[in-house]
Amino acid sequence: MDNLNWLLQGFEQAATPTNLMYAVIGVLLGTAVGVLPGIGPAMTVALLLPVTYNVSPSAAFIMFAGIFYGGMYGGSTTSILLNTPGESSSVITAIEGNKMAKAGRAAQALATAAIGSFVAGAIGTALLAAFAPAISRFAVTLGAPSYLAIMLFALVAVTAVLGASKLRGAISLFLGLAIGIVGIDFLTGQPRATFGLPQLSDGIDIVVIAVAIFAVGEALWVAAHLRRRPSDVIPVGRPWMGRDDWRRSWKPWLRGTAFGFPFGALPAGGAELPTFLSYITEKRLAKRSGHDAEFGKGAIEGVAGPEAANNASAAGTLVPMLSLGLPTNATAAVMLTAFVSYGIQPGPTLFEKEPLLIWTLIASLFIGNLMLLVLNLPLAPLWAKLLRTPRPYLYAGILFFATLGALAVNVQALDLALLLVFGLLGLMMRRFGLPVLPLIIGVILGPRIERQLRQALQLGGGDWGSLFHEPVAIVVYVLMAILLLTPLVLRLMHRSEETLLVVEDDTDQKEKAAKA
Amino acid sequence: MTNLPSKTIDKAQYIVCVVLVVVGAFLIYDALSLEAGFAKVDPVGPKIFPIAIGSILIVLAVVLAIAIPRGSIGEADAGEDVDPNTPGDWRTVGLLVGLFVAVIVLVNPLGWVIAGTLLFGGAATILGNRHYIRNIVIGAALAVASFYAFYSGLGIPLPAGILDGIL
Amino acid sequence: MTIVVGYSADPYGRAALEHGIAEAKLRGTNLLVINSSSGEAYVDSHFAQRGEVHDIEERLANCGVEFELTQPVGVDTAEELLKAMDRPEAELLVIGVRHRSPVGKLLLGSVSQQLLLECPKPVLAVKPDEL
Repeated sequence: MDNLNWLLQGFEQAATPTNLMYAVIGVLLGTAVGVLPGIGPAMTVALLLPVTYNVSPSAAFIMFAGIFYGGMYGGSTTSILLNTPGESSSVITAIEGNKMAKAGRAAQALATAAIGSFVAGAIGTALLAAFAPAISRFAVTLGAPSYLAIMLFALVAVTAVLGASKLRGAISLFLGLAIGIVGIDFLTGQPRATFGLPQLSDGIDIVVIAVAIFAVGEALWVAAHLRRRPSDVIPVGRPWMGRDDWRRSWKPWLRGTAFGFPFGALPAGGAELPTFLSYITEKRLAKRSGHDAEFGKGAIEGVAGPEAANNASAAGTLVPMLSLGLPTNATAAVMLTAFVSYGIQPGPTLFEKEPLLIWTLIASLFIGNLMLLVLNLPLAPLWAKLLRTPRPYLYAGILFFATLGALAVNVQALDLALLLVFGLLGLMMRRFGLPVLPLIIGVILGPRIERQLRQALQLGGGDWGSLFHEPVAIVVYVLMAILLLTPLVLRLMHRSEETLLVVEDDTDQKEKAAKA
Repeated sequence: MTNLPSKTIDKAQYIVCVVLVVVGAFLIYDALSLEAGFAKVDPVGPKIFPIAIGSILIVLAVVLAIAIPRGSIGEADAGEDVDPNTPGDWRTVGLLVGLFVAVIVLVNPLGWVIAGTLLFGGAATILGNRHYIRNIVIGAALAVASFYAFYSGLGIPLPAGILDGIL
Repeated sequence: MTIVVGYSADPYGRAALEHGIAEAKLRGTNLLVINSSSGEAYVDSHFAQRGEVHDIEERLANCGVEFELTQPVGVDTAEELLKAMDRPEAELLVIGVRHRSPVGKLLLGSVSQQLLLECPKPVLAVKPDEL
């Protein structure tokens, strides 16, 4: 298989000392920020974007991928030891994991989380290596109309599905699209929304926006609301598991992976939903093995499944990102901006034009995943120590690196002013519950959608009907319509989407009441 | 006796409405000053997107303005580090913004080393850490280290400001 | 009349507590034990968690001394102790001290030094027995 050949070449590249070094830096950084609540891989990659200007693309992406996977690992450590999730995807892990820790089984919880994450990451990356090129090859055959439809679908999916309020999702999205307008119109050469500033003719640098929204906005928000209760930390030795724990863990690992990967690959799937589904599935299935009474008190299945799910979803996220150039979560969106800043056009042609880069990245994911397992098992107590850093230093550090990064982009003070303005926007969004992801996706995809639309029309001779000439385009538009209309239909039937999920727990509660 | 849930009206959300209207109006105004494209092959032209986006922003502002008095609340981002129920400490935010403005103004004349030190030390102190000497020392170390790292490692010369001859 | 004890969840704090108890018995006063945390870090190892709080309360109850244990969060330790000493009934402050080199004191700060120098009332500085 041609792909296998590429993969081996990728391994060759990924195993060079420089790239290995970047992989190690990436996984260590990623775990560290995953451990620290409030700081995440998306923010870290954003802060490191300016560094990418002078480093080779493969090294940079290897580091970013390491940070991405590492973040998932780190989050579980904090969840288990502190009952505070380090990452939003680790919320479920905290439920059983912390209980296990309190019962003196922290070592087992950490072990099952780490090994499960490794298994899921390995399988997920393998699936990525299998599917992404295939999807990419198919996507290349699509014409502009279909590709346009897919991009619009991603936009709609992220806005409409994610988050409780579609109104606010739409607000974020359109603000993002508005930001994307700034710059010179590519077809007519006229400046749009540039305030007469020549520095803005290339648009507002996406790096500045990413750093402003993710880092500065977060830091300002935390500054407004710093919670001041030091938490309980459970001291723990090196993670390990007994034979019984292995037996109870391996199937949840596989099931978790099965949940996580598809959700990660879908726009707006995310990691929270599959971890939740994995948890309730494991709880339901545990009835057969008689361990269900442990749920709520520290059941190892409740850690193994969700942790595998969240790592698998991280791998899944990379599928649309690499094969279609569509980001499905914040970290992927920021990584895409790195592609753009290297002048690499993300999209279906990525596999064709930069095969070595992509396969090196994929190979490095395998390596990074292994590194995470090897490093995290012995180092877990060390990561717990990281939590002693006083938060003023952490957030002052974030502001420092954000400013440094923004300044490094073009060495002009204007970028810092933009950083401040968009940082305040980020603050406003967090205060008023406007989701961040639609905005970033709007900034990234908006100009591309406009370009695709106008090019498609140019190719179609100005005929709007030409947009619907391709079967894939029609199918996607239909799916989009379904996606938009389903909540309305459900509401008309006097149900909401949430009740569909809650129904399961109702039967659960009735059983419990019957037993009592 | 059933208790009716109290509806909290978050009037501060009107700020969002204002922002939306301002941005939307600006886009429309700016787009109107553009010339149309070559209509035959580019029926969309450079104007439509900004005008469409601007109009929708204003529509969203109206929708939000209607939803606010009905009790529509955006869930404030409850990150792992944040307790959204406490009223915001806007004084701290204001101080940080002021510090930032000072850094923006000072970074070119005084250079990154001084500005960066000021930024870190100031931010750490504003965020609550009292040991301001320690904060400034750490800030200086970070600023100097990053200055050299970016220059030799990445080839990016950050502003040296008044320390130009010394560094 | 009250003796104030600055407590932290380490041998120094425990030494302070023991000496505080001894003094309280000697003078026939009660104890105010303060275990504060700035709350700046996610994890503060000096902050006594539930298990340890329970142990302290048991110990204090067993030795027959009237006591009050508070755990203020989000405050500066030295200031909190000085504020407590400002109360008219406070007569003695007991703290555990550790050795800090001059550089250490500059970089890391020294709560004990600040207390020794600024507290207007007598301060009893103790070290754990093992050292």
